[in-house]
Amino acid sequence: MEIPYIFTPRKDTGLVNSKIAIWLFLASEVMLFGGFFSAYIFLRLGADYPWPERTLPVLPGLINTFVLIGSSVTVIFAWMSLKLRKWHQFQFFMAITVVCAGVFMVLKGIEYNVKFHHQALRLKDYAVVEGHLGYELKDGVHVAHGEEPKDEDFALNHHGKKIEENMINFETSELSFNTVRYHHDWVEEIIAHAAERNAAITLKEDLKLGKEAPVLFDKDGNAAPGSKPLAMADGFAKGSVLSMKLLERITELHLEARSHNAELRTDAFREEWKKAHAQYPGKSDRQLAPDVKIDVTKLDLKVEHPSIGFEVQPATVFHFRPRDIQEGPASGTLRDGTALAGKMEESPMGFHYVDALDFRHLAMKVEEKVGDNPEAVEKAIEESWLIKSNHELKEIWEKQQKALGLLTAELAKKDRVPTEKDKYRVNWQEMVYYATTRLEDIKIEAGKYQMPHVKMELDEEFFGPNYAVRAKAQRPDGHLGSFPHLSVPRAEVQFASKFAPAWNTYYAIYFTMTGLHGLHVIGGALVLGYYLFCGKKMYLSNPEWLANRVEVGGLFWHFVDLVWIFLFPILYLM
Amino acid sequence: MADSPEAIKKATRLYLLIGAVLFGGTVLTVLVATVPSLDFGKHGFDTADLLIGLLIATVKATLVAAIFMHLNHEKRLIYWLFGLGIGAAICLLFLTGLAIWDPIHYNGFPTGVPGSEPVRHFK
Repeated sequence: MEIPYIFTPRKDTGLVNSKIAIWLFLASEVMLFGGFFSAYIFLRLGADYPWPERTLPVLPGLINTFVLIGSSVTVIFAWMSLKLRKWHQFQFFMAITVVCAGVFMVLKGIEYNVKFHHQALRLKDYAVVEGHLGYELKDGVHVAHGEEPKDEDFALNHHGKKIEENMINFETSELSFNTVRYHHDWVEEIIAHAAERNAAITLKEDLKLGKEAPVLFDKDGNAAPGSKPLAMADGFAKGSVLSMKLLERITELHLEARSHNAELRTDAFREEWKKAHAQYPGKSDRQLAPDVKIDVTKLDLKVEHPSIGFEVQPATVFHFRPRDIQEGPASGTLRDGTALAGKMEESPMGFHYVDALDFRHLAMKVEEKVGDNPEAVEKAIEESWLIKSNHELKEIWEKQQKALGLLTAELAKKDRVPTEKDKYRVNWQEMVYYATTRLEDIKIEAGKYQMPHVKMELDEEFFGPNYAVRAKAQRPDGHLGSFPHLSVPRAEVQFASKFAPAWNTYYAIYFTMTGLHGLHVIGGALVLGYYLFCGKKMYLSNPEWLANRVEVGGLFWHFVDLVWIFLFPILYLM
Repeated sequence: MADSPEAIKKATRLYLLIGAVLFGGTVLTVLVATVPSLDFGKHGFDTADLLIGLLIATVKATLVAAIFMHLNHEKRLIYWLFGLGIGAAICLLFLTGLAIWDPIHYNGFPTGVPGSEPVRHFK
């Protein structure tokens, strides 16, 4: 079938059909992004926490803006080349456009990756601390300040990955798995961890799911010679060692039993309903329902085991991510329904590098209570857990206060005052400066109206602070390191998250909008790439056809650029 | 629209010029936001910076739409389609704005809603 008006305009509209189609699509895109921009405005106006202004790295955002604008120009040139029937020139400009899309996505990927590895923590007193967590060392030892352990010193999970120092340590003597909901990966981790600690996890009591005598199974799912193999067994003796094979077999039998029993019960009910209808033909189902009953004791039901109890000998400390466990004084429950008997051990959150302090939320809370009272805020900060418990952070705060005094005096000459960020936030560049400068040497640069800070290296503009290099900086007290070490007791933690959508509504809308925009970049690049690599046939058949297609693809590409023109300032600069 | 080869050749300089203006506008946006001596209004980010940033972005977006997307000389149907999209987006903004009257979520936001204290937003 021939599609009409693909390179000659319709008389009534004066346009080729594809152009009308793309504009219809762009109109729907305007509504889509318009909705998100509306959401951004209202999230920002209604935020019940200090909105993170100018928090994203500007340089990658700026380069990405240049890249998109540049690609908007090259896509136009690609279209112009087709109009002038210059195929190779078209290829050249279109290739640049597609490469630009790739550069944009790589930079975006780096930006996302940095965010997903950067930890934020809000304490119970609303002080916020940011940085990088340490990793658990073998045998539960924590990394001490100034130590840079070797790779072989770190504890690894069963995937061979390091474990962040943000785990709930739970001493467990008994475990009970939900037969159908247990999470495969967590059980494997429990088994591996127990094996590492020489602990045995064994069935607490005989488990019979059929008529056979219980069989004892070892950690590999093997039984004594002459006994039924695991795949055939339907009884499991007390003392059988926990293995995935054992759990899977129990689940299989349990599900079989459940389905068998459900069938029997349904059949029995069906029979009873038939009888009831025959006995009382005039009555409705609603009237009959209370008297339609079955006697389950008369049915040949199989045994179901919705949960399977194991004991842990000796009691062992297992590590769980905070979001996976709900812990009580003598028990805990994992998200997959696994019940743990035991008690929570000390489970501090260990920052190997603290790279920012933020008291803006704390100040906001104080001001909500007592009104605009700087002394009350200052006192609340001095009494905050962070400043009271960590002498390094206290020193940094003292230096920040001195620098703030200098900045306030400098700004007063121009009838200006410091911002909330100046007053209550120490970012990583400022932290490095304070850590490596004596109190008496703190000064601000005249005419810059900025808090003192160290210069960012080029790689740090993209990847954040270079911890390995900064950790070697000489401090006035003779020690090395620019970033304080911090161990936060679990009781002080209010909310912790990476800089991911969960952290606050700013990051939620940032990831939503830039993610959606990124998908558009990928989609646009695929279409333009198709014209670049597969457009020759279309060009040879009718160059105007391809020119129209490229114009339509280019319109979409300009729209993607147009959206970014707003996204960049509102997310990176405001 | 520049459709004939001659017109297209003529338009080259215009496209390059618009590209340069867009680059320049971007640099200006960043300078205004990051260089203290170019900081308008109060020290740090404030309404003046917001308005300047949005103004530059709007000018840039208008140039992209008008020149690169050829909206400066398009057929009437296209104006209708795009205009309807923008109109609907603005309606959406005001529909979302109705949340102001949700007393649980926006207690007192913004000031002027009868019978409620304004939420203290950060200065």
